[in-house]
Amino acid sequence: MLDRFKVPDKDKIFVPVENITKVTEKILEASGVSKEGAKNSTSVLIGNDLRGVETHGVSNGLRLYVEKYTSGEYNSNPNIKIIRESSTTATIDGDMGLGAEIGPMAMEMAITKAEKYGMGAVVVSNTGHLAGCGYYPLQAVEKDMIGQAMTSGGAGLTVPTWGSEPILGTNPVAWAAPTKSMPPFLFDIATTQIASNKISLARRTGAKLLPGWITDKKGDPVLEEIEAPERNGRHGESNYHLLPFGGTRENGSHKGFGLGMVVEIMTNELSGMGPAPLLKHEGSDFFAAYSIDAFTDVNKFKQDMDDLLSRIIESKPATGYEKVVYAGYLESEEFLKRSEEGIPYHKEVIEWFENHCNEIGIDCELR
Amino acid sequence: MLDRFKVPEKDKIYVSPEKVTELTKKLFQSVGVSEEGARNSTNVLIGNDLRGVESHGVSNGLRLYLERYSSGSYNSKPVIKVLRESPTTATLDGDGAIGTEIGPMAMEMTIEKAEKHGMGAVSVTNTGHLAGCGFYPLQAVEKDMIGHCFTGSPGGQTLPTWGSEPILGTNPVAWAAPADKMPPFLFDVATTQVAANKIELTRRTGAKLLPGWIAKKDGTPILNEIIAPPKGNYHLLPFGGTRENGSHKGFGLGMVGEIMSNILSGAGPGLTSNHQGSDFFAAYSIDAFTDVKKFKENMDLLLSRIVKSKPATNYERVVYAGYLENEEFVKRSKEGIPYHKEVIEWFENYSSELGIECDLR
Repeated sequence: MLDRFKVPDKDKIFVPVENITKVTEKILEASGVSKEGAKNSTSVLIGNDLRGVETHGVSNGLRLYVEKYTSGEYNSNPNIKIIRESSTTATIDGDMGLGAEIGPMAMEMAITKAEKYGMGAVVVSNTGHLAGCGYYPLQAVEKDMIGQAMTSGGAGLTVPTWGSEPILGTNPVAWAAPTKSMPPFLFDIATTQIASNKISLARRTGAKLLPGWITDKKGDPVLEEIEAPERNGRHGESNYHLLPFGGTRENGSHKGFGLGMVVEIMTNELSGMGPAPLLKHEGSDFFAAYSIDAFTDVNKFKQDMDDLLSRIIESKPATGYEKVVYAGYLESEEFLKRSEEGIPYHKEVIEWFENHCNEIGIDCELR
Repeated sequence: MLDRFKVPEKDKIYVSPEKVTELTKKLFQSVGVSEEGARNSTNVLIGNDLRGVESHGVSNGLRLYLERYSSGSYNSKPVIKVLRESPTTATLDGDGAIGTEIGPMAMEMTIEKAEKHGMGAVSVTNTGHLAGCGFYPLQAVEKDMIGHCFTGSPGGQTLPTWGSEPILGTNPVAWAAPADKMPPFLFDVATTQVAANKIELTRRTGAKLLPGWIAKKDGTPILNEIIAPPKGNYHLLPFGGTRENGSHKGFGLGMVGEIMSNILSGAGPGLTSNHQGSDFFAAYSIDAFTDVKKFKENMDLLLSRIVKSKPATNYERVVYAGYLENEEFVKRSKEGIPYHKEVIEWFENYSSELGIECDLR
């Protein structure tokens, strides 16, 4: 993440991983989620926080999920069904369970299929927020596989190249691949210039948005630095829209929009849910695992990965920069640091936890 | 493609697809390529030209390939071997053949595996230029599948975000998906700001490069409009251009391409191993996931929603990846392919040297 999105030092409260994990699990269970479901979701959210992807951790997500369980929009006791299955594929109806609860199970299923047949892919429809894509491919990496995840939650946010009407969501996508001694490769991005979550985060940290990140209400790109505007709805009701990554056609926004479309197709169309921009449902997820052993020698693959990744880390930076990294490197550094020192949350987040725990009558030992 | 890459009106010569196909096939056969091999490569190149992707058609590619066959760096009589195989996957050794000859076969193999098992993927190593990724996923689309392709090169062209040493190639990637009545979705891009081939194309068309497309030798992005510098005096930037504008996304996707092609095939990283590059082809059977008819109807709904949406100020229309390419395909199939006169002259001179008839004009 760019520095502008990080929690300012004066607002940081460091919380040990065990403490935040325990409280988050309890809060989800208090919303009626099963012990295993709460464990899955918590592991995804805290995993994101540990890697420094705090846009997709407990800070923005948890309070929203709790609200959605309360309002009945999310189902805390989903009856998950397999709609279609082949030796390598499956389509699952998530019965409106939280994506972060079903995701780890769906990825396990993809991995099991890939162990037997070389590849596996599972799509999950009728499900809530996945909390980003980064966590799931790492499950495959642990089994010496290449992992991939896509999700199409939140349609009606992003304009097409040359377009003024918001159609797609932020449609993130991630791949991860294992290594021998280097931190694993983990490429995990939104297909917009900026994740919608980062706009909420910018409002909390007071950061400005850079030129070419969003459009005005009419759908024209805003080409100067501005304060993060208030978010007030999807499908054209907002006073700004997101731009696909690239920003403008001249700078390649058709590449961002095209990749966003790939995500929409591999999730909503492949799951049979149909286009989220028209049907306004909550979106679907795609998980895939590719067994390295089905293609080549696993040891050689991991050694080759180390050679490639260390070549990048050891390469000379451009004028004015200190180091060169690859996707997943900084996240891995952050993971080690935060596992030891605790996760630096914004004080406002800790206050939310304390108030919420107090309301529902559970212990909240975070500070 | 942006207008600046197109052949200027005054230099256009329209050639019927049948004529350029016949001649291109003959030229491949003249260097010893089999009839089937020549047909595969020609289909890929002319397919690209018909879709308007002329950076990856005969104009830049053919003369280069013929040179490489002559110098022995491409093998005109490859013996293709299966190095490893599972129900859904295979890794092929291409024996130094051009990618465009093996690619269509590898994608066929992928599709057969996906027909049986739901998904298929084939990795090809020890192979030459693939001429972009767009052609191959469309083979899967014809069989009601989602097609996907990556290709990795020897690298050494593209800088990492914040870096000054070129590591990756342009590492293109493509996906395609079928629709019912709308033109198929075909997303086919280089993971750099601009394909290396397009820089060569600007030398022929005289177009300038836009700010943030390439970097100086020390890694600093060039932020003004310039004429393409001589080869060896610049590096490519990953798409996004600068970190603030998301070049880590372009570099990351380029890395995925490198891993799925060069490393998964066992060939090793392009930059640090001695090989010409590798390719990855995948097919996902739609029927394994959902009802095919419903999928295609849903695709139509999605794609027509985009095409019918209101453009931003100053733009005429909104399109999706593959829409303009399909328009161009229909138009060029009828009117002929507009080649630059320099390209036609090359065909004429080269054919004349070999004593092959050249009836393009």
